[in-house]
Amino acid sequence: MTDKSEKPLVFSKHLTGKAVQEHLAEFDKLLVGMMGNVADKNWAIDDTKVIEISDSNFAGIIAAAMLGEFGAEVIKVEPPEGDPARKITPHGVNRNGVGLPFIMESRNKYHITLALNTEKGKENFTKLVNQADVVIDATRPGYLDDMGLGYRQMQKGNHRLIYVAISPFGHFTNKAEKMASIPDSDLTAQCESGYPSLTGDPNAPEPYNYPIKAGIWAAWYMSAVLAVTGTLTALFHRRRTGEGQMIDVATNDAISSWQGFQIVWGFTNEMPRVRVGNFDWCLFPYGYYEAKDGYITVAAGNDEDFRGLLKILKRWDLENDWRFLFDRITDDVIKLRDLEKEFKKEFSKHSRQELVKKAMQFGAAGARDKLRSKGFPIIVETRTPTEVLKEKHWKVRNSIVEIEHPQLGKFMVPNSIPKMSESPPRIKWVRFGLGEDNDLIYKKYGLEN
Amino acid sequence: MQESYFEFTKAILDPATAKDKKEALTGVRVLDLSRVIYGPVVAKWLALFGAEIIKVEEPEEGDNWRTGTYWAKYWKDSCPYFQSLNPNKYFIAIDVKLPKGRELILELAKKSDVVVENFRAGLVEAWGIGYTQVSKVNPKVIYISCCGYGQYGPLKFFPSWDLIAQSMSGVARLTGFPGQDTYKLQDYYGDFFPGICGAMGVIAALNHRERTGKGQLIDMAQAEALMRTMLNWIFISMEGKDLERTGNIDPAMIPSGIFKTKDTHFIGIAIASDSQLAALLKAMDRADLSGQEEFNDTFKRLQQGTAEKINTAVEEWVACHSLEEVIEAARQNGFPAAEVKDDWQLTNDPWRRERGSVIEFNDDMYGKGIWPGIPVVLEKTPGRIKRLTRPVGYHNRYILKRLLGLSEDEIKHLEEERVIGYWANRVGQRPPYYYDMGKDSIFNYTGGANND
Repeated sequence: MTDKSEKPLVFSKHLTGKAVQEHLAEFDKLLVGMMGNVADKNWAIDDTKVIEISDSNFAGIIAAAMLGEFGAEVIKVEPPEGDPARKITPHGVNRNGVGLPFIMESRNKYHITLALNTEKGKENFTKLVNQADVVIDATRPGYLDDMGLGYRQMQKGNHRLIYVAISPFGHFTNKAEKMASIPDSDLTAQCESGYPSLTGDPNAPEPYNYPIKAGIWAAWYMSAVLAVTGTLTALFHRRRTGEGQMIDVATNDAISSWQGFQIVWGFTNEMPRVRVGNFDWCLFPYGYYEAKDGYITVAAGNDEDFRGLLKILKRWDLENDWRFLFDRITDDVIKLRDLEKEFKKEFSKHSRQELVKKAMQFGAAGARDKLRSKGFPIIVETRTPTEVLKEKHWKVRNSIVEIEHPQLGKFMVPNSIPKMSESPPRIKWVRFGLGEDNDLIYKKYGLEN
Repeated sequence: MQESYFEFTKAILDPATAKDKKEALTGVRVLDLSRVIYGPVVAKWLALFGAEIIKVEEPEEGDNWRTGTYWAKYWKDSCPYFQSLNPNKYFIAIDVKLPKGRELILELAKKSDVVVENFRAGLVEAWGIGYTQVSKVNPKVIYISCCGYGQYGPLKFFPSWDLIAQSMSGVARLTGFPGQDTYKLQDYYGDFFPGICGAMGVIAALNHRERTGKGQLIDMAQAEALMRTMLNWIFISMEGKDLERTGNIDPAMIPSGIFKTKDTHFIGIAIASDSQLAALLKAMDRADLSGQEEFNDTFKRLQQGTAEKINTAVEEWVACHSLEEVIEAARQNGFPAAEVKDDWQLTNDPWRRERGSVIEFNDDMYGKGIWPGIPVVLEKTPGRIKRLTRPVGYHNRYILKRLLGLSEDEIKHLEEERVIGYWANRVGQRPPYYYDMGKDSIFNYTGGANND
């Protein structure tokens, strides 16, 4: 590679010119310090002690990991036989009897065991909670309360406590009470959030015509980040007023309440959406297509971007019939398939790199255009994770980092997000031995063996 | 007798009491320069919990999402999806391309605690309203720049949308059946998820500032947020091969899948632990399966091959029962199961209404509507919706007079120079057809500066 190709492509005339380039080079000096070794920087909340108890619910496990990444001292409490979450792992892949998700989300945590079904275990738990700032409880609603260890009792010994409940239907409402015995999972949380009902092609043969779940833990990760953001909001309030409180997260509602477009659709259309395969409800084209040598992603929904795409593909003949966004909405899928067919034909003629290059060159030229009227149809490779790992950009940013573990050796995990200049979240360690930190934590918090 | 746990929680969490409670982010002022979804929802979280949000748009254009509506459907001349993204905000319109516009934005940034932007990387710096410029006049500022790949690195200028970030992160290839089409994560997960991660960063920074007095820059990269959710990296590095997509099976929880009931409803079931498996097998009356080692041993059960066998048994059982029967079995025995709900069910769900995550809201300008409500319930400082969106430039006078102390003459002068402006007469930007702007005391604000 030559030096020239290392230079980022510029797509805006505002970013050209010597003065601007010099300023951006100066700005880079600040940024580069945020990408690499940030060990000496502050922690956002290293004055905060967090207790996590989860029982096979990763929403709680992830939330606690993220608070740890912001600097909190996180103590995960497990029964002597361990949290069943240790065995939740794709295809049973494990190391030393521990699954990959548990390893990945054990970052910055201490792991201790307590038998909550014994008097001593209960006393120890209460001692811990009395010294904590935050409790993350992702067990069954009422489980701790039934044992005399719930928020009502916690408040007595610690009135400044922030108690975060994470469960499928939440810790209040009639339905939550009725359904309290149903445990959480990412898949069922996606279903109750109505998420799979948006994905798939109803005209495909069975079972491919079923609603399709997201291929990541979309509900668990959304729930976890919502829980952390709620916790940090409550912590901020507590710093200013001294007041603690309860926070309630329903994993069955995380996607539908935060994304919310499902509710807006229901309100304005008074009916459910029909699944439309690879189409979008707002934009076309906005999806995945096959090029000669693999998948590409095309986003050119705005009218000017759409026109740009027609120019790139040399298909201006389509302009007359499909000019406006209104012509390209999916209320008439059958009609839109005609246009899709033409695009599919054109994309299949070219390699991925050809198409990406054409779009980028068009965008760069359009950005230099005085009127900025040409649009910017975006085409990128639809990358597999293996392809993503080869991308230099993520290496420069340390987006995925290698962990060196004393027993397991080296492995990769995604880095903490986001990048911050003063108090960045980061990974101190990844360790996950059951009861590994009993000695240290029991002593520090005055618990009895 | 002591009240039950659920009576206790209802009393302290009931959203009906929210409007009389305190707000966590009172006194936090946010300058929101963002548009579409990703940036606006960072500010939305802050808005729901009490911060004052000043959203700056381009005169006669406005946020692009003012026209971003499904099936081209509008509501009272506004985009209902835009409404759901931008509650409780003030709407002013300043032309950032004019030097005077940038000066005005810098004046507002000087008086703000947080600045949110999601232009292409480097643009705000080039315009003189980026972190380096704002922090010079306001060292305590928390400045969040949201873009696809971050402000640093060879891809930094590369364009992004939700879908492009899904593709560049590798998420794009994970949803769908093996050997079949892959699907995107719907409704712009690639914007909403990074957006809430951004809000998380901002509030972490607010906590840090409360302790140290220091502001900071946050570099939020859409694709990195999505990468944080992926198990593929650890899987690839440990197994030497990638995790293939598995359709409706969660390969970490077996049995699992989306099944069809006797009365043709879809239902999701996923088993997380041995005790949940025992509960399911009891409900299925299949004690014979629980004796077999390949099902009994968790790691063995998760292996491909075994997984399919036990899934088939579940599929057959579900096919012989109604939705109600399966949910009742899950409730009595204790295993995860849930109906695949649709949009219309969510909108009308009594549980969501009781939780406050779907709300009916009566707005001064737009009247009654049903909206996504508050995603997380906070006991003492609950979130709330106080106001829907307003037309482009609606709060110009209200904000510029109160906050910057501008006089009516100065504002008229800015209007003449087209530094500030209003809506174009287009759907999505303009006031509802029935609304008389001439009589609106906020739009025609005549008061002076407010120094509180």
